[in-house]
Amino acid sequence: MNKRAAAAGAAVLAMALGVTACGGDSGDSGDKNTIKLVAADYGDKKSNASKIYWDAVAKDFEKKHKDIKVDVQVINWNDIDKQVKTMIQSGNVPDLLQTGGYADKVADDLLYKADDVLSPKTKKNLIPSFAKAGEVDGTQYGIPWVSSSRVLFYNKKVFKKAGIKNPPKTWDELADAAKKIKDSKAADTPYALPLGPEEAQGETMMWELGNGGGYTDSSGKYTIDSKKNVETFKWLQDKLVKPGLTYSNPATTDRKTAFADFAAGKVGMLNGHPSLVQMAKDGKVDYGVTSIPGKEGPLKSTLGVADWMMAFKDGGKQKQIKTFLDFVYSKKMLKFDEMYNFPPVTQDALKTMQSNGKHDDLKPFFDELQNAKFYPLGDPSWDVVSAEIKKTGGKAAKEDPKKVLGDLQKKAEEAAANK
Amino acid sequence: MSLKAPPVRRSRGGLARLGPLPWIAPVVLLIAVVVVWPVIELVRTSFLNISIAGIVRGPAGTDKYKKLFDETDFSHVILWTALWTVVVVGVTMVVSLGLAQLFNQRFPGRRITRWALIAPWAASVLMTAIGFKWMLNQTAGVLNTALIDLGIIDKSKDWLGSAGTAWPWMMFVAVFVSLPFTTYTLLAGLQTIPADVYEAARIDGAGSWQTYRGITLPLLRPAFLVGVVINLINVFNSFPIIWAMTQGGPGSDTATTTVFMYKLKETDIGESAAMSVVNFLMVVVLVLIFLKVSRWNEED
Repeated sequence: MNKRAAAAGAAVLAMALGVTACGGDSGDSGDKNTIKLVAADYGDKKSNASKIYWDAVAKDFEKKHKDIKVDVQVINWNDIDKQVKTMIQSGNVPDLLQTGGYADKVADDLLYKADDVLSPKTKKNLIPSFAKAGEVDGTQYGIPWVSSSRVLFYNKKVFKKAGIKNPPKTWDELADAAKKIKDSKAADTPYALPLGPEEAQGETMMWELGNGGGYTDSSGKYTIDSKKNVETFKWLQDKLVKPGLTYSNPATTDRKTAFADFAAGKVGMLNGHPSLVQMAKDGKVDYGVTSIPGKEGPLKSTLGVADWMMAFKDGGKQKQIKTFLDFVYSKKMLKFDEMYNFPPVTQDALKTMQSNGKHDDLKPFFDELQNAKFYPLGDPSWDVVSAEIKKTGGKAAKEDPKKVLGDLQKKAEEAAANK
Repeated sequence: MSLKAPPVRRSRGGLARLGPLPWIAPVVLLIAVVVVWPVIELVRTSFLNISIAGIVRGPAGTDKYKKLFDETDFSHVILWTALWTVVVVGVTMVVSLGLAQLFNQRFPGRRITRWALIAPWAASVLMTAIGFKWMLNQTAGVLNTALIDLGIIDKSKDWLGSAGTAWPWMMFVAVFVSLPFTTYTLLAGLQTIPADVYEAARIDGAGSWQTYRGITLPLLRPAFLVGVVINLINVFNSFPIIWAMTQGGPGSDTATTTVFMYKLKETDIGESAAMSVVNFLMVVVLVLIFLKVSRWNEED
């Protein structure tokens, strides 16, 4: 009896330990010839999931390079940063990662230099402004993957109903147009200002650029609470938020809400990126695009956003990674850009997309790409700062901007000192 | 003969010498692995400097605690956590007292209404919260539509967009999901009160309010205390309602300490762990108060 009970106890114990052991890292991929690739999912439905793209790439690559295997894992945008963090913490580091930011990993010396994993030919093919945005202190680590730039979208029907002849070029014209839309009840939300956690750092920068401001000065020091930035938010507050020309709570309104509202014809105008093109078409919204208005005139350089590919040193698979990246960037780049209608980051893909006539709707974005301005991506503290802006930045549109931005500046300085 | 028994027992196999250990060892180990070890890890993490990429960069001393207490929002979050807990538990208890009393009466359809009360309990809290979030939505929400149609408001409101209106709504949802458990606890308590006590009171000529205060409430105290304490801990730790409805935003204006801890994770895991430790200590205090109060209950 005793023995049997003891055996049962031991079984329970083994089970309990087995269950908890699942939390540990499973299977060290000691196999030198398997590249572990983790990528973000750009799809918004099953039929255009990025998994489909990557699986096809891996299959074609493996056919050509029989000795190298590619292990693909695609994770949605909401979870990818958290999951990668967990992978790094548990020592289960991927070999290649395609996501939104790279500089924080450079700070911890986790990445190969771009020179180490790209052939000179592939590297030269990258559009220079993007390659440059991948640099930390003059050395490129981030390899651009896709890009986008921002323009002002407006609903032509709404503008016509409100009697607005030309799309706005300055802030005052924008406020004026918004007022006309409100007075004529042409749209629920004259100007959509999404400063919610999803992408507060984007909308904020587009407005700050319009006033000659931004997140950093020319030396790279944070200037989040500069006079010009405070002024920008003061203007937003007085001219858009208080008169009810935008959402009543910009700080809790996300970009996806604004985009959906525009696609439903409920918004007069908003700043948007290429994926809004398709959404607007699907919603049968007759839209126009123009450069984003600034305080005195349209922005000369708009906000450019890029997502990144990066290679981790941990697995020591430099040669295999190089072979794979050369393959992807020379053969498979265009396919991804066309799949999601994104402006490309390589010169040959850009040339093809500009000339083959299939992407005329992207033309305004191509034009703006050449002199786009980026977030301080190469600053290793940017990821922390960006997260802080997402959390509280939007409050500056309703509360005292000096206090909100001052608080962020303090946090940014702390993060910069801590990188 | 009985004096000789112990030596005989001692001479038996090794397992017996361990007494009950083999039986409770799995549980002890399980507790050690899923409770004790995480707590130790938690405390350890709060003293570490961890980069945003997830690399441990060395000890941080008490820096993370200092950073936490220096957060502009910290005092505000603590204050609202206290207010949130007290209001939700208070309202839940009062409403549940009434509901329990009602369900203790005999009336046609009692069985069905008792079942209906379970619904908010049986539904996932997250689902309930998301349901309310959409009902309160500014453009598509049924509440705005109804209120406008009834002429109560003339423009649809963004209820969850600012702290002033978001807090009351979230408190309402928290009360809504806490009611079933609390009501059933009190109902069980009510049913343990013997009928003859009431009969005696009636013979002595006590009014119904007098009976309620003099007999029902004192006899209900054990059940009431259990309800209060379990709700205190539940509501204090409540995460899904707030996360689903506002994510603690704008900023941290509608965050309790639990939500705040989760938000800190995005920028600094060490600081987030420090917040967890503070949270943990607060729960320990709550439990200690519970033990004290329940002992006072026994003595009484």
